[in-house]
Amino acid sequence: MVSEAIFDTINRLLSSHMLESKLLNENEIYSEVSLASHKYDCINIYNNIDCVLVDLFGNDTSEIDGSITVYYTFAVRSSNTLITLYIKLDKKGSMQISSISKEIPAASLYEREIKDMFGISFTDSADSRELVHHGNFPLKVHPLKKEFRKNTRLAFEKREQSFTSISGTGVFEVAVGPVHAGIIEPGHFRFSVAGEPIINIEAKLYYTHRGLEKLSENEDYMKVLLFSERISGDETFTNSLAYCQAIEKINGITYLPERALYSRVIFAELERICSHIGDISGLCVDTGYIFANGQFAMMRRWIQMLCEQLTGSRFLRNTNKPGGLRRDFIMDNKKLILDCLNNLYTEFNDTIEIIKNNGMFIDRVEHTGILNNSIAVDLNAVGPGGRASGINTDVRKEFPYAAYSKLKFNVPKHANCDINCRMNVKIEEVIESIGIIRQALDKMTDKGSVAVEIGKLKPYSFAFGMTESPRGENIHFVMTGADNTIMRYKVRTPSFCNWPVLCHAVNSNTLTDFPLINKSFNLSYAGNDL
Amino acid sequence: MIVSVLKLLVQIMLILIIAPFFTGVIKKLKSKFQHKIGLSVFQPYYNLIKLCKKDLVVSSVTSWIYNVAPYIYFMTSLFAVLCLPVVHQLIGPAYFTDLLVIVYLLVAGRIFMALAGLDTGSAFGGMGSSREMLVSALVEPALFVIIITVSSRTGIASTNVSSIYEYTLSHTEAAFSPINLLLFASMLMILIAESSRIPVDDPSTHLELTMVHEAMVLEYSGRHLAFIEMGTHIKQLVFMTFMANILIPIGFNIENIFIGLGIYILKILAITVLVALVEINTVKLRLYSIPNFAAIAFIISVLGFLTCFILK
Repeated sequence: MVSEAIFDTINRLLSSHMLESKLLNENEIYSEVSLASHKYDCINIYNNIDCVLVDLFGNDTSEIDGSITVYYTFAVRSSNTLITLYIKLDKKGSMQISSISKEIPAASLYEREIKDMFGISFTDSADSRELVHHGNFPLKVHPLKKEFRKNTRLAFEKREQSFTSISGTGVFEVAVGPVHAGIIEPGHFRFSVAGEPIINIEAKLYYTHRGLEKLSENEDYMKVLLFSERISGDETFTNSLAYCQAIEKINGITYLPERALYSRVIFAELERICSHIGDISGLCVDTGYIFANGQFAMMRRWIQMLCEQLTGSRFLRNTNKPGGLRRDFIMDNKKLILDCLNNLYTEFNDTIEIIKNNGMFIDRVEHTGILNNSIAVDLNAVGPGGRASGINTDVRKEFPYAAYSKLKFNVPKHANCDINCRMNVKIEEVIESIGIIRQALDKMTDKGSVAVEIGKLKPYSFAFGMTESPRGENIHFVMTGADNTIMRYKVRTPSFCNWPVLCHAVNSNTLTDFPLINKSFNLSYAGNDL
Repeated sequence: MIVSVLKLLVQIMLILIIAPFFTGVIKKLKSKFQHKIGLSVFQPYYNLIKLCKKDLVVSSVTSWIYNVAPYIYFMTSLFAVLCLPVVHQLIGPAYFTDLLVIVYLLVAGRIFMALAGLDTGSAFGGMGSSREMLVSALVEPALFVIIITVSSRTGIASTNVSSIYEYTLSHTEAAFSPINLLLFASMLMILIAESSRIPVDDPSTHLELTMVHEAMVLEYSGRHLAFIEMGTHIKQLVFMTFMANILIPIGFNIENIFIGLGIYILKILAITVLVALVEINTVKLRLYSIPNFAAIAFIISVLGFLTCFILK
């Protein structure tokens, strides 16, 4: 209903130069605009409709129309609608687009990604440096073009990377990573510091780029499901869920068995609890609070053990499939889950009370790593990071999926913007998640099928799958090719949105507080690099 | 002559053997307090053996300082502990040294470590060096007040180890005086700061940006690192020995060396329990809160100093 109203508004706003416009999959509006006017159109929509830029990606559609399509996706969070403007670039043409990054700051990162992956240059952009291509990656290679073959062996290059340099008396650059002292994911951080205070920090990621999007090209959709489960270890279920939802939308499956929907909610929330408790545990480890760390690590293990008992995988791998679940994992394990949650609930609350009463711990997290609301809004901060800075957004409420529309829960929102606030959001979300699982177990029937056949994939169709991962809004775009294959699988994880946000939160803190701020966001490197 | 040389050698051996043990005990206690099994108390020994077997990786940009610093750090720590009476008798250098010598021996070792941290040219080394010097500069005043208090009690206001030893030997009941308790509390804080423990530094962290001592020695490997670790174990023992023998001289006047040694080890074990308890119950401070920590240590020691005159 609401989507149609927005559809009309868009048609009116862009009427003069819109080439094509359609409303697909109930809430996805696709409008083709011309290369000449797209900048004006994007800004027009951004300013006139209450929406945020949530995705911007290319797609080599040369097998259909000999061009590269670039999609600008805006989410209207207030009315469950996605607006996608797309432009077609002739592959033989100049491959130049005018940038919107100066008007819409969140676009900058996406444009840099497209530039590296497709070789499309953006004129008049705020930042035109490489993003994916790190110092050892050959510049002329654009992996997502169809000409690039999957098994190409890349040459090893050695290039100086450019960072914003800050000079002055007593200002030093500290380079950290990509290899760290602990066993963590690779990422390079360049700090400009004056003694301890950080003046500027830049993150250079993509050292763990595995080419998941390229690997998914022309693969069977069931194989791509396995890729989606491997985007990021602790977001396995939400990522596969987003992918499955996109496939289901493409095949027009609007009804899934209730048991499948509730089971998906249960697993997604178990994953969230696990991830959030892990984050809080990490905060304790970084402050040297070993007792609390041990407590939270234990509780996290409880949930992982429960997941293993239910599905055979601690990270919930091989649980989802397009059309439902692989089998009925909940079966008669209701009591098992409830017992585990009851234990968790008491233990969690007790430990939280202890850490909240520890003045030294609170002193570390309070007023540290402040992320201003305006920066969070401009860069589209998502998940607990955004919610702690006053952005009240949650895919579960705004783009309800699975059985979330039938369940009652609150989305915690705070506005103090510091680490403590982000921790509180996570703590409250754990409590909410326990409530959600209890409700879901209560509402679901004892028996019933957990999957429907989805049949043969509709060729050359596309859809978005959205989920709220533990780290925030997760958007997967899937376009099918012929014979059950996937032509383009674009993943935009919450980590991608939040990395630049993190850098802003770190500025003007001290070096010793950086790991703590980093942990409070706990972004995935693999999920960002793909 | 030969007897005293032998005694000295025995004492050196003894210190080398027991020093890593207490680090192991602290780690074990920390695990026990969390209901974890924890590593063996002998793990520090295994680590030292492992490090000695490993190759050295030395950056090509380093100078001689980098290569000699571990040995200087180790030797100064060892010499510092030899300056203190470990059991009933004064052995070797403890006859003729001064408490201030101990402080400056430790400072000398630290200066070389800080220089070595800078020598590699890596960002972390410099960062660690500057933080380590900050911490040590902050706790030094408290250490001096403690030394002055201890020496002013002797009547001749001498910082000579021998005169303090004599006084302590004849006043073992002073262990329970408020002066000693205050000095003990202050010394415990200094011990924590100097041996890079929570809440000042986190010895087990993997986060290179938050490290203090570990950042400074981040580039070291193999034999060099083994000497630095051994030096740290011994340095910790310097402060613990000071606390055990001079601040709580219970049983210090027992003449049987073996019983005396047993009591000494028991007292140090008691101190390790305190250190482990502090580590388990506190959280690493913000870097800018370390001055507050040092200020508290200083104030407590000054209170001890003043009490010394009030009780006179």
